[in-house]
Amino acid sequence: MNRILRKSAELALLVLVFLIVIGPMVSLFLWSVAQKWYWPHPLPQAITFDYWAQALGLKTSLAIGAVSIVSAFTLSLLIAAATVVIAMAIAIPAGYALAKYKIPFGTIVLFLFLLPNAFPQQPVFVNILQLFTRIGLAGTVPGVMLIHILVGLVYGVWITNATFRSIPPSMEEAARSVGATAFKAFYRISLPLAAPGLFSSAVFVFLTSLDEFTGTFFIGLPFINTLPLTLYSSSGYNMQFASVIALILLVPSVLFMLLIQKVLKAEYVGGMG
Amino acid sequence: MTSVGSRSLGERKLPPYIPLLFPAVAFMVLMYIWPFVSSVLQSFLVGKGQPSLANYVKVWELYRKDIVFTFGITLFNTALTGVVAVIFSVYFRIRQNRISALLSAIFKLPIFIPFVVVSQMMNSFLAPHGLLNTALAQLGIVNLEKPLQLFNFAGLSFGFAWKQIPFAVLIIHGGFQMIDNSYIEAARSVGAKMPSIILRVLVPMNKSSIIVALVLVYSQIIGTFTLPYMLIGGKVPTTITVDIAHRVNYFRDFGVANALGVCSYIMVLFTAAYYLRSKIREARQEVSG
Repeated sequence: MNRILRKSAELALLVLVFLIVIGPMVSLFLWSVAQKWYWPHPLPQAITFDYWAQALGLKTSLAIGAVSIVSAFTLSLLIAAATVVIAMAIAIPAGYALAKYKIPFGTIVLFLFLLPNAFPQQPVFVNILQLFTRIGLAGTVPGVMLIHILVGLVYGVWITNATFRSIPPSMEEAARSVGATAFKAFYRISLPLAAPGLFSSAVFVFLTSLDEFTGTFFIGLPFINTLPLTLYSSSGYNMQFASVIALILLVPSVLFMLLIQKVLKAEYVGGMG
Repeated sequence: MTSVGSRSLGERKLPPYIPLLFPAVAFMVLMYIWPFVSSVLQSFLVGKGQPSLANYVKVWELYRKDIVFTFGITLFNTALTGVVAVIFSVYFRIRQNRISALLSAIFKLPIFIPFVVVSQMMNSFLAPHGLLNTALAQLGIVNLEKPLQLFNFAGLSFGFAWKQIPFAVLIIHGGFQMIDNSYIEAARSVGAKMPSIILRVLVPMNKSSIIVALVLVYSQIIGTFTLPYMLIGGKVPTTITVDIAHRVNYFRDFGVANALGVCSYIMVLFTAAYYLRSKIREARQEVSG
């Protein structure tokens, strides 16, 4: 009897948690296909995939709202790609140096890459806006990219650092002892061993850029409309488009994070977007 | 002769970590430290750079309610997250069956969904005639003529809890998994009941990961802009982050925006100190070990 009671309590908990977690996502999906949805109807009265078609560039109809998603999507992907390349080019050497060398003032360097996680970043973005306005970078793609690199670099350095730390130094020392240069030892030994970690780190930086909102809001608006900013600006008047964009952002985030979560420390994944 | 020559050349060369670290460090100093320091300094300046406390006076006059609101929502949600996340983590640690496995898989989803998407979800889900209200109306709990108004403290808390509880469970559950079964069995063998095993064995042994989770949740809630901006916007009371955006976008008033920013720094001072200290200690242990 006790057992049955406990099992049904567990099942009730499962259903409740399932509904709470899934409810907002269902709402998003229903809105993305809702043609007509007036209360008090619990479900949309008419369904259409026109918003998806238009969002993906398969259809152009002014009747359902002329939100340009294709261009925003392309821009977001380009910014994210460039951000990954630049951020990783800076992060990999730094992560490697922090892992392999005894560095005087090493604590201060560590501090530098920890601070953005410890304090709210929004005031920093506000002051970067002031600086960028002075030098003409505000409202430009390079300006937005610099912000995304800032956000991604911190994670990039931490993840690559942890990756290189996990490779025993004896491997490179062995290569050096048979005459390899420091660069060759790194290139032929550490880099291939670190490849999965570096790849995960690059994926993570890509996602932080794709989902970045706050920094882009200050630096990019009103000229640079990435996907998250288009989501924000359409959410006020076109629920369907906002929901389509939200789902377009949601799917890659969840899929890739599930793929790379094993390599990431839990605490990295909380502050995205 | 050649060996001496090459050594003295080697001594004059920079240590290899300098060129490796330089780009990243330079970038962080220019793009983070400088604006960070500038945000603090500028909060004490007015007009053409006269030192003054006028920005803080204005913050006190216009935004003290919002500061209290921000602090309240942060404390409430950190406490809520702490209690619920510990309960679920303990449950996942003790009960390992198909139901708990399913639950813990469902719990992973919100962690990976970015805040901007969460904001849009909550925006539609919690609306007066959104899915939550219509569903509750179907069950007869809510009268749709007078739906639950959730674009306020309650809805914001729902959004934060939805995103942060699974995140805290991920960290705290990880800590519980490190505790060997033998501790639980030992406590049981001396006659301890489950509640006292949880409160006197499991939770104390996992104190550090619980604190880390709560520190991260606390500082994230204070710094989050997207969710309050899309859910509450300019309504009063709102959060500091929304006020900063209004100050900058509508008035180009960087002084007051920075003073508000410094208020948010002060609110996270203790958690930031704890976070930095524990991370640096962790890094040092890894180096020596």
